[in-house]
Amino acid sequence: MNFHSLAVLADPDVQLLFLRGTLTTLELFVASAIAAYALGALLVVIRMSGWLPSAAVGAFVEYHRNVPSIVQIFVWYFGVPQILPQSWHAFANAHLSAFFFAVVALSLNAAAYISEDLRSGIRAVPPGQMEAARALGMSYLKAMRWVVVSQAVRGAAPALVSQALGLLKTTSLALAIGVKELMYVARQLDGETYATFPAYLTPTLIYLACTLTLMAIGSRLQQSARFTR
Amino acid sequence: MKRVALVVLGITFCSSAAWSDQLADIKSRGVLTCGVFGDLVPLGYQDAKTRSIVGLDVDVCAAIAEDLGVKLDLKTVSVDARIPSLETGRIDVMTASLAYTPVRAKQIDFSSAYMNVPVSVLVKKDSGIKSFADLAGKKVSANRGSTSEVFARQKLTNSEVVSFDNGPSSYLALAQDKVQGMAMVKSAAVGFHNRSSGQTVFLDEALFWEHDCVGVKKGEPALLAAVNTALDKLESSGRLQTIWDRWYGQSNEYQLAREKKVTPASEFE
Repeated sequence: MNFHSLAVLADPDVQLLFLRGTLTTLELFVASAIAAYALGALLVVIRMSGWLPSAAVGAFVEYHRNVPSIVQIFVWYFGVPQILPQSWHAFANAHLSAFFFAVVALSLNAAAYISEDLRSGIRAVPPGQMEAARALGMSYLKAMRWVVVSQAVRGAAPALVSQALGLLKTTSLALAIGVKELMYVARQLDGETYATFPAYLTPTLIYLACTLTLMAIGSRLQQSARFTR
Repeated sequence: MKRVALVVLGITFCSSAAWSDQLADIKSRGVLTCGVFGDLVPLGYQDAKTRSIVGLDVDVCAAIAEDLGVKLDLKTVSVDARIPSLETGRIDVMTASLAYTPVRAKQIDFSSAYMNVPVSVLVKKDSGIKSFADLAGKKVSANRGSTSEVFARQKLTNSEVVSFDNGPSSYLALAQDKVQGMAMVKSAAVGFHNRSSGQTVFLDEALFWEHDCVGVKKGEPALLAAVNTALDKLESSGRLQTIWDRWYGQSNEYQLAREKKVTPASEFE
């Protein structure tokens, strides 16, 4: 291992490269996370309300849990445009970037896992809670909001934080379709300079800093939730 | 504690002395450990019928082993493992489509080039792109970690270079118009070109010439000299031409001419 090769990190161009990569990774994460949590909650509502046969939501969830994430990204980037009509395909090439397709694939994937975590949280609330709330005269929505969901989210919180950590790391798969995120940048630097150790050390530390921050935010949220009990 | 330190030091020195001449080591072992790709047609890949690794790189290394009078031990390597596995001594000589670059030359030594091919840009025929200048403001795909990627980024400064994991992905991006050009060594790109049923065309300009060499660990002058002598002999006997014709010649799908013979490293360093 060559520690003197760490010198490449002093190069301002390399620092700029990593800065841009980090920003892209964070943009991927934030965009996918917002979409994933919203869609995950929507999936649970759909599944529990019976608007659609729950098999439809089930199939969506199972596809995203059982097909490798990298394949899902390829399907969105290379596969879906190919089955579209030629004019749509041209529009997609002109206006939709690899970043867009990465966010679509990542958020659908994470939403499937998140909906399962939320559903298990809701199922963990004893049915008697709902019955008691309704008996006290609360409407269905009110009972859901104040009695069931508030407890369910608290129960599912550790798993939901886990999903956020997983999503942050999964964003690195977007490099396969040419999104210039953190790992793309690391591999580009490795390819250009062969300074393998610093090329991978830097993203390791950046990912670690991000995941530790996420974990801290997660535990703060769980702490404050405990106070309202 | 001091004694332990002395013993450790002693072992370190002994082992470094034992490694000081890799050529003698290879000859005494009677085996040349050769690093090749296992997934790159036609340089090093698994033959579907025999399940053994075959290809141009394999033939070259086998000829070198034959010249040294030792047996050949093939080991497949990944793109990223080529240089580290030479440095750690896991592999004696690397014939895995290893192109010379000044940065790599700081870490390993390069023999004469046994294969010289241009890195070209493939474009869609109907795109109207005729030169590198026409690629300004457009996207160009390249394989991640390849020299084509590095040189494309240096030479096509007005284009955006987007790297993909492998040739098929880089080509698919061109075929689906996600990029307007694909920078790739011509010997690899010609396979995609030939299968595109006339829809693609190479630009005349070359991004640079790629010189594929045999890589050896740094500071092994005897081994390096032996490899160079072997390559010169293989050139003068016509064996290298035969090997080229077997894998790239008129008889198979590539039909690529061998434009340059064995080139000493001094000519491209």
